[in-house]
Amino acid sequence: MKFTIQNETGLHARPAALVVETAMAFDAAISIKKAGNAYNAKSIMSLMSAAISKGDEIEICSDDSKAVAAVVACLETLV
Amino acid sequence: MFKFRKKEKTIQIKMPFDGVVIPIEEVPDEVFSKKMVGDGFAILPSGDTLTVTSPCDGTLIQIFKTNHAAGICTNEGLEMIIHVGIDTVNLKGEGFTRLMEAGSKLVAGDPLIEVALSTLTAYGKATVTPVVFTEKAQVKALEVAFGEKKAGETVCTVTMKG
Repeated sequence: MKFTIQNETGLHARPAALVVETAMAFDAAISIKKAGNAYNAKSIMSLMSAAISKGDEIEICSDDSKAVAAVVACLETLV
Repeated sequence: MFKFRKKEKTIQIKMPFDGVVIPIEEVPDEVFSKKMVGDGFAILPSGDTLTVTSPCDGTLIQIFKTNHAAGICTNEGLEMIIHVGIDTVNLKGEGFTRLMEAGSKLVAGDPLIEVALSTLTAYGKATVTPVVFTEKAQVKALEVAFGEKKAGETVCTVTMKG
């Protein structure tokens, strides 16, 4: 599922921590793709290194559709 | 007497700069104080200009594009982030100078980032610097030596899960 980042500081420490917390609740692997590169949604280091910024279009990928929905819901709450 | 048991890896983390070590719970940002990014400790830096050096032998995984934080992996595989100041992502790099590029091999004490602390203060940003171990599954135990320390002194001993 595709998602465009709206919050001012992008996916930095706080949002990344929230995404990881959400992703960890699922057994399935979850990745976030940006510009063709995949980052592990369960790793803060991986997510922060993606340097996802406001306006970036990312894609949330997992075999578990509930996991995708949960991560998207988490991203939607970011301000 | 435990000599023949499976060896646990313990890693000594050095002070990246001079300062006073405080509990992570005292950092004025709940992302760190509630250990959302991971457990660790924090340092109140001394002086006006800060040279952040590597706290261990390892690899520089990432210097964030705004140069306010560095991701490091020790030779044993322990991952950590040094995040200089609070909310400093919003300075968009002002006050920070990168001294080392991502992918570099590190020896403890190698300079990573130079920071003009006066810039942080001028924008009202706290200079307290959390050092956190980002992979919770890696850390079995953490022993932190609080108080005033010089760069290069051992500040924390991490026991990794086997």
